Amino acid sequence: MPAMDRFASAETPSPAWAMTRWIKQIKARYEDRITGHLVLAARSGEYAEIPGSLPAGLRTALAARGIRQLYVHQRQAWDAATAGRHVIIATPTASGKTLCYNLPVMDAALRDQAKALYLFPTKALAQDQLAELLALNQAGDLGVRAATFDGDTPSDMRTAVRLGGDIVVSNPDMLHQGMLPHHTKWARLFESLRYVVIDEVHSYRGIFGSHLANVLRRLKRICAFYGSDPIFILCSATIGNPRQHAEALIGAPVEAITASGAPQGERHMLLWNPPVVNSELGIRASARSQVTRLARMAIRARLKTLVFAPSRLMVEVLTKYLKDVFDPDPRKPARIHAYRGGYLPLTRRATEQAMRAGCLDGIVSTSALELGVDIGALDVALLCGYPGSIAGCWQRLGRAGRRQQPSLGILVASSQPLDQYVVQHPDFFTSASPEHARIAPDQPLILLDHIRCAAFELPFVAGERFGELDASDYLAVLAEAGILHAEEGRYDWIADSYPAQAVNLRSVADGNFVVIDRTEGKRVVLAEVDYGSAALTLYEGAIYMVQSQPFQVEELDWTGRKAYVTRTHADYYTDAIDYTKLKVLARFGGSKAGHGSCYHGEVHVVRHVAGYKKIRYYSHENIGYGPVNLPDQDLHTTAVWWQLSREVLLAHFADSAAALDAFQGASHAMHTVATLVMMAEARDLVRTIADGQASDAPGGDVAGGPGIRDESGSTSEPALQTFMPSLYLYDPYPGGMGLSEPLFQRQRELITRARALVEDCTCAEGCPSCVGPVIGDPREPGRSRKAQALCILGLLAAP
Amino acid sequence: MNTLHAHLVRLANQAGRSASLPTHSESHPGCFEDPTRSRLRALLAQRHHAACEDLPGVAIAPGLQFVETTDTVLLNGTAIASGRLAVDPIRCSQLVFLDTETTGLAGGTGTKAFIVGVAMLTPPQIRIRQWLLTRMAAEGALLQSVAEALPPNPVLVTYNGKSYDLPLLRTRYRMNRLPEPFGDAQHLDLLHPVRRRYRNVWPNCRLTTAETRLLGTVRVGDLPGSEAPAAWRRFLATGESDGVRRVLLHNAQDLTSLARVLFALNAVG
Repeated sequence: MPAMDRFASAETPSPAWAMTRWIKQIKARYEDRITGHLVLAARSGEYAEIPGSLPAGLRTALAARGIRQLYVHQRQAWDAATAGRHVIIATPTASGKTLCYNLPVMDAALRDQAKALYLFPTKALAQDQLAELLALNQAGDLGVRAATFDGDTPSDMRTAVRLGGDIVVSNPDMLHQGMLPHHTKWARLFESLRYVVIDEVHSYRGIFGSHLANVLRRLKRICAFYGSDPIFILCSATIGNPRQHAEALIGAPVEAITASGAPQGERHMLLWNPPVVNSELGIRASARSQVTRLARMAIRARLKTLVFAPSRLMVEVLTKYLKDVFDPDPRKPARIHAYRGGYLPLTRRATEQAMRAGCLDGIVSTSALELGVDIGALDVALLCGYPGSIAGCWQRLGRAGRRQQPSLGILVASSQPLDQYVVQHPDFFTSASPEHARIAPDQPLILLDHIRCAAFELPFVAGERFGELDASDYLAVLAEAGILHAEEGRYDWIADSYPAQAVNLRSVADGNFVVIDRTEGKRVVLAEVDYGSAALTLYEGAIYMVQSQPFQVEELDWTGRKAYVTRTHADYYTDAIDYTKLKVLARFGGSKAGHGSCYHGEVHVVRHVAGYKKIRYYSHENIGYGPVNLPDQDLHTTAVWWQLSREVLLAHFADSAAALDAFQGASHAMHTVATLVMMAEARDLVRTIADGQASDAPGGDVAGGPGIRDESGSTSEPALQTFMPSLYLYDPYPGGMGLSEPLFQRQRELITRARALVEDCTCAEGCPSCVGPVIGDPREPGRSRKAQALCILGLLAAP
Repeated sequence: MNTLHAHLVRLANQAGRSASLPTHSESHPGCFEDPTRSRLRALLAQRHHAACEDLPGVAIAPGLQFVETTDTVLLNGTAIASGRLAVDPIRCSQLVFLDTETTGLAGGTGTKAFIVGVAMLTPPQIRIRQWLLTRMAAEGALLQSVAEALPPNPVLVTYNGKSYDLPLLRTRYRMNRLPEPFGDAQHLDLLHPVRRRYRNVWPNCRLTTAETRLLGTVRVGDLPGSEAPAAWRRFLATGESDGVRRVLLHNAQDLTSLARVLFALNAVG
């Protein structure tokens, strides 16, 4: 029987009826809030023969672990890899992907002493996998040497791994900083490297994925130097474009296996829309309050519950709410834990272990837990808000019921338009194809970083390509900066530095802030915050929370990248108020869009944090403001934008305030559909309204909150004669991440979809689901924000 | 070119990285884009040639300078027969003192040895041979010359060579696809016996400290090893050879000291 079955006896499953009863209960009680109930029936497996050529020892090892046949996708992966084709296996969580790569790798190690390199996005996953490998190895007494190599590997072990490891289990960061720059020490591995296994490739999207693609370009360059040409075996959760994504990552054709042969337990999924509390304004109860209630109920029903919160801040808030109920006595072991990035690794390991051991009843987490970190059996997964992608949804919901039990996932919608769209269209989940993972390996800064690292590893010969790319301009820049030495058509590293050290794969650049607790004279590092969010979370006066313990930022050392905090007892949290200015630097292309035009190009964005709000717990009332004095955040990136001529605007709008409001409404809908169409995370695309004619007017002073933040604060009201509002969607990363061009290509479709979104919305005057929150008195018919936004979209639509 | 550079610097700053791309303070041959490029190249080649003329020794291959000196060295004894140093009895003719000067201390495949110094003894004579790169491209020639200069069955003597000089040279041979000449040669890294004996006695165990304490000599006008990489980069970029000459002297002095420290340790027991 398949590998997963061995877990069945090791646990005490909560009886299926407990789950079924609870689902019945909440369905009866909250019928009006549940907009959909999907049941994925339990599915039996599809099997295939174990390959006849498998070495006897390996066959014995499989038998010892109860495996007498393979799932059909495992066999397909074997066939592809052993025939020398790169392959990606994109099947659901817990479908036995591990064996897809362990079999060909073990086979090659036993047969030809060929070596393999495994890459996992985190050290914790690498540890899980090593345990798996060692168990298989032991079961058949195979003598294959597998070891992890990461920051935790003791130095006396390192040489042994370098010289004697058949399978080296590591992570992209270690390959980038520890292995490639020292490739001569790894010569034995690189010389006979047969397979490179990369798991969880759906997590290598955006910046991290773009970095990884470049690390792999470097890896292939080094392999070529040692005369090897490894086969890549990639695994992914379900995504829409596994083959294309894999090909973008490794820069070569890849075969995709997407149908799983693994059996699966029954899965329930509820779509939950919080009740309307103000029908005129279309305001609903918050997702946070609903999730808190559901989590309490589930935990009381003795169901192990995992809550996914949309932000680190929300993790802390929700943890506090649950701890207030379940952990009233600090002397007892905690039943609720928070888990998120920014916590120190030891804290996270402790939480993982406690959860595996069944000591915890609830975990509140960000997407940090989305990856396959093993935390044992879970009954209920609660999603506080749509995570921005279908793949992300399934990945998170899949954390419940990994082991063939009935399980329940509840998606609780927020008032965000994307969420509202999703819960009101339950068929979205069954019909829409999952997202595409996108990367931009040729992003200029990322590319420069990796060409620099590559030059350190091996000199570049003039005309040499990096991946498919002509590197000569970048090499010349590096030579000019004195980092490379150009001589007789060769670029040699000459600087006295170790470039990989300065390149962080998880950001466009490494400028992380550390948060230092100096309560009572201590100096303890609490957490790290990336450069991009520092201005929004670490301003002086901010409440910064760790495990729902509030700390107040007392001092922010901007140049030293440090924030000093002390423990506090505030009954409020803080949220930054920020404004954005935008200026067009260059147009790459343009076309007509109805009565207006659409362009894409390079823009300069300036973000200013003006102050912050203090928000009281539970009541969420605003109890005060504070000022923030921080340098403006500059950003050169790429954008797509729409504008209408002054004449058209004058003909349709009474004044600039009306036009601006209409654009805000339209931008809301456009951002929603753009996110949907691009299958991007909402935070990877930012909308703003700014002056469209930067050439003859000062930079637009108009506030438009970035992304999901809403337009807060006042806006100046320039006369329509001098101001031409334009609707911008841009990448919030220096240099852009390649979203604006595909958006420009599909601009007509975006307008059409945005129009349909607003037209089909059931509200009367506009609501957070379509054109954003409408504040103030109802307006006369035809002048509502909804009508105004439709006017703009109508003007931009092709006739 | 400059615009791409400026653009990249700007983006880097926006991403929160301030000092990632040094502004260019040195100009480099080979990366000029203007029409006078070939003329400049010719001038630079001339300057380079002139700079090499200023150096001691002879050019034995394009871009490779070879310097040989012989000196008289006062040694504490005439042979090391020492079980005390945990080696088999060694004949002086087998001893190969080795010291490198490198382009940086960062380690990894991007760091090169631009000087390799090798010294051998016929007491009281010490014969010092040094190979200096005057062009990047000559690295392969340098490594080959060094390999040819080693006697059969050498016993290497270094200071911190086990963790620094030898791994670095091995990497260089591999990078140049050349056979690595050291094999499993015996290797006396003097840092280790010095540390064992004097760790708690001296303020530190650097070679210069050992010279002062064991040999009673003090270097005058020595170029600190940490300044060597910059001196060599300056030579490559501008042809200014003073720094490199001082690095050669420093390297030769290190080699002589190695020999004297070895015999001093042997005598101290």
